[in-house]
Amino acid sequence: MSKRTTINRREFFSFLSVGWITFAAAAGGMASLIFRYLYPNVVFEPAMDFVAGRPDDFDDGVDERWKNVFGVWIYKNEGKLVALSNICTHLGCVPTWLPAERKFKCPCHGSGYYANGINFEGPAPRPLERYKVNLDASGQVIVDKTKIFRYEKGEWTHPDSFIVV
Amino acid sequence: MKDFLNIYTDPVYSFTFVCIAFFFMIKYVEVIATLKFGIGLMIGTLVMFVLCFMDPVFTKNFYITNDNVPIIYLVFLIAWTTWYALYKGIRNDKRMEEGLPPLEATPENREKVWAWPNLVYTELFAIILGTVFLIGWAVFFKAPLEEPANPTWAPNPAKAPWYFLGLQEMLVYFDPWLAGVLLPGLIVVGLIAIPYIDMNPKGNGYYTFKQRKFAIVTYLFCWLVLWNFLIIIGTVFRGPNWSFYGPFEVWDAHKVVAANNVNISEMLWINTLGVKLPSNIFIREIAGILLTLGYMVLLPVFLTKKIFNFKGAVGKVFNGGFLGKYLKSLGWARYSILIFLVLMSLTLPIKMYLRWLINLKYIVFMPEFEFNI
Amino acid sequence: MAKDSFAQKVAKTQVWKSIFRHGPPDNARNRAAVIAGNVFLHLHPIKLKKSGVQLGYTWCMGGLTFFVFLALAVTGILLMFYYRPTAEYAYNDVIALREHVPLGIMRELHRWGAHAMVITVWLHMFRVFMTGSYKPPREFNWGVGVILLVLTLLLSFTGYLLPWDQLAIWAITVGSNMAKATPLLGHGGPGAMLAKIGDFVMVSDKNDVRFQLLGGRFVGEAALLRFYILHCVFIPVVVSVLIAVHFWRVRKDGGISAPL
Repeated sequence: MSKRTTINRREFFSFLSVGWITFAAAAGGMASLIFRYLYPNVVFEPAMDFVAGRPDDFDDGVDERWKNVFGVWIYKNEGKLVALSNICTHLGCVPTWLPAERKFKCPCHGSGYYANGINFEGPAPRPLERYKVNLDASGQVIVDKTKIFRYEKGEWTHPDSFIVV
Repeated sequence: MKDFLNIYTDPVYSFTFVCIAFFFMIKYVEVIATLKFGIGLMIGTLVMFVLCFMDPVFTKNFYITNDNVPIIYLVFLIAWTTWYALYKGIRNDKRMEEGLPPLEATPENREKVWAWPNLVYTELFAIILGTVFLIGWAVFFKAPLEEPANPTWAPNPAKAPWYFLGLQEMLVYFDPWLAGVLLPGLIVVGLIAIPYIDMNPKGNGYYTFKQRKFAIVTYLFCWLVLWNFLIIIGTVFRGPNWSFYGPFEVWDAHKVVAANNVNISEMLWINTLGVKLPSNIFIREIAGILLTLGYMVLLPVFLTKKIFNFKGAVGKVFNGGFLGKYLKSLGWARYSILIFLVLMSLTLPIKMYLRWLINLKYIVFMPEFEFNI
Repeated sequence: MAKDSFAQKVAKTQVWKSIFRHGPPDNARNRAAVIAGNVFLHLHPIKLKKSGVQLGYTWCMGGLTFFVFLALAVTGILLMFYYRPTAEYAYNDVIALREHVPLGIMRELHRWGAHAMVITVWLHMFRVFMTGSYKPPREFNWGVGVILLVLTLLLSFTGYLLPWDQLAIWAITVGSNMAKATPLLGHGGPGAMLAKIGDFVMVSDKNDVRFQLLGGRFVGEAALLRFYILHCVFIPVVVSVLIAVHFWRVRKDGGISAPL
């Protein structure tokens, strides 16, 4: 009579748990691979910086010439020129500039901003963002949308966030 | 009349009016649940729509997108189904008061019938009617199509499809993480939780009102007032810049609406104490933090336990503990989930009124952490 | 013996008898056989309580929802023959569906069907609530139903982007920016600012949930393709599976609710 190979109760459960842990790890590993798969490594997006023209091309106040192409308002006031983002800080709609009331008004949920970008009505939690501006060698304004300056973090005093004109 | 409506459909008034109407609907439910009232309701809704669509401005604003067409069906169907469910519920309640079983439980209705032909033919009819209805609708109304997508220019007003306009209206009062993530998430979780919270064994499988009053009133309030009425506000009473426009008012994008909203911190430090905002954000927002904690922690205790000992009518409201009776029947876990869900759903009307009455923007305002309540 | 009519002759052919294994459902045996022997009809019980077949009780809203879902599947597949999900073609294809494609109302049927489905789902849920049909033993199926309701809204939401018009892009911009505000997972939500090591920001616009949803930092071509796949394949498959579970559980939990 051959000897039966038996495992006792404790061994059985330890085999079982090793099996389950391996299975869970493998399933979790595959799930996380799929999760990573959904993040593309390369995205195709429009250019993030552009030449906006000479500072004296702009009159005082809000200038809308780059709004439709690059999504930027140039705002010149009290000797400073800044580039305002045209993305509402509430949910990313594009506000409209209402010259008569001198404010930006968002069509989606009614947020309002003064010409300098400070929010004053509606649900927007914070002012419009400003982009980095600087002058190139020929005196042209370069707007760089990759660098953002936020008022509530005290970044609007940063020298890159405006040009003295 | 139109001028009157243009003024008093402002959410401040119309929301209040709808809440009061809801209260009377529950209080006089036996009047509502009569055949006469039902017929009157349908005729009234029909007349209202006919009168509205006779007005060119209303028609123009309404058909700004054909996506609004289903709103007409929705209003009719909601008016009718609400009335019909109450009608059947009250009828069953009356039978049960007389000691009779509800209509669904009469021996005749308990009898089993063949699926063929009783059910199959009903389904066939429904399919045919549904097909005819859909084709008719598709022939008479074009599906909306606007200009090609343009990421640099947003239409004004930019409205979501009608079934999301309740959420879009909520976004006016709450930050996106609350209105767009937390509260919709809680709606879903709360709906799934209903059968595990509602321990009332009565009313299973038949229409009733009195046997499930608390459940039905809560659900109807959320469904009619907080969901569907907000959708109607968003569809009919919101125009360019998401400002309020009366239903018969021309949409003028340059209408000036004063909306200078302030935070509680500004009210406390600047307006009341006359000092600058403290630099430490937790001290700055102390009033809002305390209010929120009070609402989420102390109020449930107040609702559960009798704390004060006033006499008379004052005592009924201010002694506290009027939800305590549910604690015993539900147990701690269910009871605290119920209280939490009720309090969370009440944050919406509370924040709406705070905005309308004292121009409150945020109770807690911490843009440093993107944490605004 | 009277002569067989044409219909009776057909019913006696081998072909007919191979398809329908029983006679006309005019007696108890055949009525049971027609329901039990047909893969589509056996969704129904053979017999059910009279209250469960009364329109005044059920409003037929669940059934209508399923009908509209099927209609949407059919029209949706037909639309896919003419629609290309790219920023270059999508809008023109949608115009062509009205102007150049025969019939010209396929998109209308699909659009209005989607709206109708939202209404019927809502009213179905309302009816189920008002009759207390979520109570034991149907708690789980109510939960499945709630998830189906959410998926119905998500189907509508993802489908909204596909015409690639102004309505589409701004509705999705607003909707996906809500994902941005998810606590801890979105770069604009509470807590995201705390999750950083030194200068390294762990949750940014390049790796948060919105980026995953859109396949980019804003609603662009990648988002269009993602929403197309979610709308046409992923969510419909999940919905179909859950509908099967929902129907199965309706039967297993005792059929359409009735007084205990």
